[in-house]
Amino acid sequence: MFKFDILVEDFVGILTVVPKTLLLALVILLISTFLGGIIAIIQQYKIPIISQLITVFKSFLRGTPAVVLLYIMYYALPQISHLLLSLIGIEFNPNNLNPVITVIVTFSLTLSAFQSEIIRGAFLSVNYGQIEAAYSLGYNFLQTLWRVIVPQALTEALPDFLNSYMVIIKALSLAFLITVVDIFAKAKIVGAMTFRYLEAFVAAALIYWCISALLTYLVNRYEISLRKGH
Amino acid sequence: MDFKFMIEILPEFLSVLHVTILIIISASTLGLILSIFVTMIRIKEIKYLSKIMTLYISFTRSVPIVLQLFLVYYALPILFSLVGINISNISAVIATIIALTLYNGGYLAEVIRPAYLAVERGQHEAALSLGYTPFQKFTRIIVPQVIPIALPGWGNALIYLIHDTSLIFVIGVLDIMGVANLLISQSYGSNQVEIFLTIAILFWILCLISDNLVRFLEKRVKYSQIGSGIKQ
Repeated sequence: MFKFDILVEDFVGILTVVPKTLLLALVILLISTFLGGIIAIIQQYKIPIISQLITVFKSFLRGTPAVVLLYIMYYALPQISHLLLSLIGIEFNPNNLNPVITVIVTFSLTLSAFQSEIIRGAFLSVNYGQIEAAYSLGYNFLQTLWRVIVPQALTEALPDFLNSYMVIIKALSLAFLITVVDIFAKAKIVGAMTFRYLEAFVAAALIYWCISALLTYLVNRYEISLRKGH
Repeated sequence: MDFKFMIEILPEFLSVLHVTILIIISASTLGLILSIFVTMIRIKEIKYLSKIMTLYISFTRSVPIVLQLFLVYYALPILFSLVGINISNISAVIATIIALTLYNGGYLAEVIRPAYLAVERGQHEAALSLGYTPFQKFTRIIVPQVIPIALPGWGNALIYLIHDTSLIFVIGVLDIMGVANLLISQSYGSNQVEIFLTIAILFWILCLISDNLVRFLEKRVKYSQIGSGIKQ
C-alpha cells in the first residue's frame, strides 16, 4: 500500500534538486522578461513588418503546447545553432548542445509572449502626466524610461512576475522528456529506484504545493505593504 | 524541411485526432459541471466542505499537470481498493479524462466564483422582492449576468485544456503525440522536426477554432447584455 517512511525519504531526496530548479526558472524568467520588454516596445511603437511578425508569433505560441515546442527545439536547435555559429566562424559540434540550453531557449520564447502582455499592461498603468513631466524637466527618452517609467511599472508588475515564475516552475516539469532533471524528473528517478512511484509523486506534489504557497504568501505580503504606502 | 513528408504523415495524425477531441469535449463538459458544484459549496460556505474545496483548488493550480496525470493514474486504483472496489485495470483514457476534469474544474472554479460575486447584491434583493423563487432568481437573473463575465476566462481554460491534452501520451494514451513517437521509431530517428511542426500546426488550428467559438459566443451574449438599464 502506501508507506510513509518511503514518502519522507523521497521528499528529502527530491529536495536536493529544488535549488537547481528554482535557479533555472529564475534564468528563464529574466531572459523572457527581457525579450518580453523588447516585444512590448516593438508593439507599442508599431514598428512595421516586425510588429506583424510578432502578432503571428504570439498566436502560434498561444496555440501550440509547450511539449511540442520543446520537442521541435530539441531536434532543431542543434542544427540552427551550428548554422548560426558557423556564419561567424566558430566550430560547433551539434551533438554537444546541452539540453539545459534547449530548455532555457524554449521556455524563454514561450514565456516572452506572456511577459510582453504583463509589461504592456504595467507601462499603460503609468500616468502619462509623469512622462510629460519628465520630458519637461529635460530627461531624454532613455532617462525617462529608466528613472520614471520602469520603477513605477515594476511595482505594478511584480505580483504578475511572481505568478509567471510559478508558471515556469510548473512548465519545467516537462524537461524530463529531454533528460533535464528538475523536481518532477527527480521524482521519477527516485520512484524507479524503489519501484514505488506513488510515494515519489506525492512527495513531488507536496514540494510544488509548498513552493506555490510560499510564493502566494510573498505576493500577499507585498500587496499589503504597497497598500500601506498609499 | 520536407513539406511533402509533412503532408504524407497528416492522415496518420488525423486518424487519432478523435481521441484528443473526445477527451477535450468530455473533460471540458465535466469540468464545467464540477466547477459549478465547487463554486456553490464555496459561496454557500458549507462547513469543512468549503475548506476542502479551497485546498483542492490550490492543489490543482500549483501542481504541474503531468504530475497530476501520473497521480491519478497511480493513486486512483489504490484509493478505490480501500473501499473495496477493484479498478486496477483502469484504462489510460479514463484516467486522463478524470485528471483533466479535476484540473479544469479547479481552474474554472476560480473563474466562475469572481464572476458570480461580480453580480451586484441589489440584483439578488430586487429579484426576491419581486417574488422570484430562488431557482427562478438563479436561472433568470443571475446566470444571464454571470455568463458574459465568465466567458473570456472559460475560453482561456479551454485553450489550456487543449494544450494539456498534448501531455496525455506520458501515461500511454495513443493520441497525436503517441503516433509521433511511433513515426519517429519507424523512420529510425529522422524527420523529427517535420513531425512535430505538423503537430504544432494541428494544435494551432484547434486553438484558433476554439478561440473563434468563444468570440462567437461572446458576440451572441452581448446582445442580451443590459448594463444599468440601458441597452448597450
